[in-house]
Amino acid sequence: MTVTVLTEDSFLELVRDELALPLAQSDLESDFDRVVAWDSLQTLRLVAAVEKRTGKRVPVGRVLAERSLRGIYDVLTA
Amino acid sequence: MTTVATTPPGAEASGPEPESAFDRLRALNTEGRLAAEFPSLPSLLAEVAAGESGTADLARAGQFLARVAPDDILAAHPDTTVVSVAVAGHSTVGPVAGPLTAELARHGFALRLSLGDFDGYLRELQDPESHLHTAGTDLALVILDAQAVFDELPPVWRVEDLERAATGKLAQLAVLVERFAAREGAGTLVLNTLPLHRHHTHQLVDLKSRAALGVAWREFNAGLLKLAARHERVVVVDLDPLVAQGGSLNEPRMASYAKANLGEELLARYAREIGHLARTLKGRSKKVLVVDLDNTMWDGILGDDGADGIAAATTFRGEAFGNFQKIVRQIGSQGVLLAISSKNDQEPVLEVLRTHPDMQLRDTDFVRINANWNPKDANLRDIADRLNLGIDSFVFVDDSPFETGLVASSLPEVAVVRLDEEPALHIDKLLADGWFDVRELTAEDRERGALYRVEADRQDLLDSSGSMEEYLDKLGVKVQVAVVGDGDLARVAQLTLRTNQFNLTTERLQPAEVRARLDDPAHLVLSVRSGDRFGDNGVVGALFAHREGERLHIDNLILSCRVFARGIEQTTVASLLAHARDGLGVTEVTAAYRPTKKNHRVKDFWPSLGFEQTSETEEGELGFTHSLAALPEVPTYVHLDADLGGS
Repeated sequence: MTVTVLTEDSFLELVRDELALPLAQSDLESDFDRVVAWDSLQTLRLVAAVEKRTGKRVPVGRVLAERSLRGIYDVLTA
Repeated sequence: MTTVATTPPGAEASGPEPESAFDRLRALNTEGRLAAEFPSLPSLLAEVAAGESGTADLARAGQFLARVAPDDILAAHPDTTVVSVAVAGHSTVGPVAGPLTAELARHGFALRLSLGDFDGYLRELQDPESHLHTAGTDLALVILDAQAVFDELPPVWRVEDLERAATGKLAQLAVLVERFAAREGAGTLVLNTLPLHRHHTHQLVDLKSRAALGVAWREFNAGLLKLAARHERVVVVDLDPLVAQGGSLNEPRMASYAKANLGEELLARYAREIGHLARTLKGRSKKVLVVDLDNTMWDGILGDDGADGIAAATTFRGEAFGNFQKIVRQIGSQGVLLAISSKNDQEPVLEVLRTHPDMQLRDTDFVRINANWNPKDANLRDIADRLNLGIDSFVFVDDSPFETGLVASSLPEVAVVRLDEEPALHIDKLLADGWFDVRELTAEDRERGALYRVEADRQDLLDSSGSMEEYLDKLGVKVQVAVVGDGDLARVAQLTLRTNQFNLTTERLQPAEVRARLDDPAHLVLSVRSGDRFGDNGVVGALFAHREGERLHIDNLILSCRVFARGIEQTTVASLLAHARDGLGVTEVTAAYRPTKKNHRVKDFWPSLGFEQTSETEEGELGFTHSLAALPEVPTYVHLDADLGGS
């Protein structure tokens, strides 16, 4: 399987695409409490989409502990 | 038939790269126009569902559809049917919101959803104040998974513990279900069987215990399924066949971290079942299955290959077509009317259906055979006119993308099943949706095809009669009006649910609600049977009324569209009015007409029988009163047999 590198832009695009959430670039940094319609199921859906895109398994337990998209992105690209 | 030019109509105008239906949906979401464009969503979603990644795309669409408020949809389109669903569960219920919204929107329904707490199902079932019991709830879904039983086991357990836990859980559920079903005004309660995971069975290492677990588990699930047989307002969705479609039961990490014990794929299939259940409850089950012939019902093209060149048996492909015919026949045996729309000449088609050795279906299995060269949308309209049924009760099956595209775009209310060149997949495609699901079949359902075929004989008599009067006289119409007996209860409820045209107030009643009225001495629930020289029509109508002091109010009158305009409706009302005056001793009878999209032709029904209009609301609901001074007469050509009881 081809492994795609996840850039910040492609990550945000994936979030917008898969979750159909109207996100601004600034939402990357926002705490989830301040992002419209965010819940833990969104995180898990995002994980599934990232895995499909990159072909790599995501450490879900760690991703769930993050409080912002930036945090998730950092875990994913660590 | 297979056509090579496969551009569906409507696609050619949209430029070089036609947008997919999903892209168009997504654009509507971005522009914030989903509520405004709600009536166009069923076509888009039908296309999405029929696509290659249909299930996944529908689930994705559900994500953003679920964020549209039902009140915004209603504000833009006040006629939209809203389905109120309350969900309780053992694990997280949130993931069902998306698929459920998408499946209901496919049917044109706006979803008003109320989600319960995590693991709140027992409390919410028990508590009469909980959202499951809210008045006006159409469907109360209690979504269960195996953990509901396994969570009750001690930390280390034997199969005997599991047997006890399963028995205890079933007994507990039975009591709660019983209470729910007994409550006045409750919606339909939906449970499901609990799929067993390998990590449940294989915690036990000895094969004997593992087998015992399997037995206990199936008895538990069988017990759940039996609850539906005991209560008219309870449905149990069997998840086993949905699991057997393949894919994983859940995603282990979703289950562990989010307590989503039933996976998205399974919930999407479950939501599809619920969508069809909602259709049934709202009186929108499909009634007619129209099939193409060439490469749909047999292998080959009759016009090119000749009768000897087509096959529905003996060859590999032929046998697959034959199996498909068997399924169509099976559906036809359960009250669904079968019809043909095929681009062929009529005579050779009839010849094949009568004499070809491969055929599982014969000419007499169909109520209409339209083999001609007219466009198929026109043929479907013609069949609808002949059967006197709404085109929105049609399902159309064809292997040609041209024909399915044409019908989908010009008759969006028709459900289109898009077959392809692989006949072994025909059956799965036809049965992928429960278009014909009904709560319960009645004797009339099983006879329906035959009843409609007799209609053709009546048509011949009409054609040979000089006038309508002469025809009706020769027909020898018999009408029996009587208090509904136990045997007719299901049929009477079904008439309220299925009938759209001759339905004066369109009050839909489940069997339990009909029974409640029957048990109430103030209410009168009458069935109307009819027959003529060609045979018995069975129960074709129903009348609901209740007494308020010196007045009798007719809550609703319903008549099957098969038997309009034969004096049956006038006879029914005349006999009721006579009974009201002479039997009940009331001084007036009131009635109402509530307009819907489909019942406009009965708007003047009450005045035609001497009722005076007394009121009109803003919504167009009309109120009528009959003073009982002069009663309408039973038409002379009708033989009436009335038994309205003493009350």
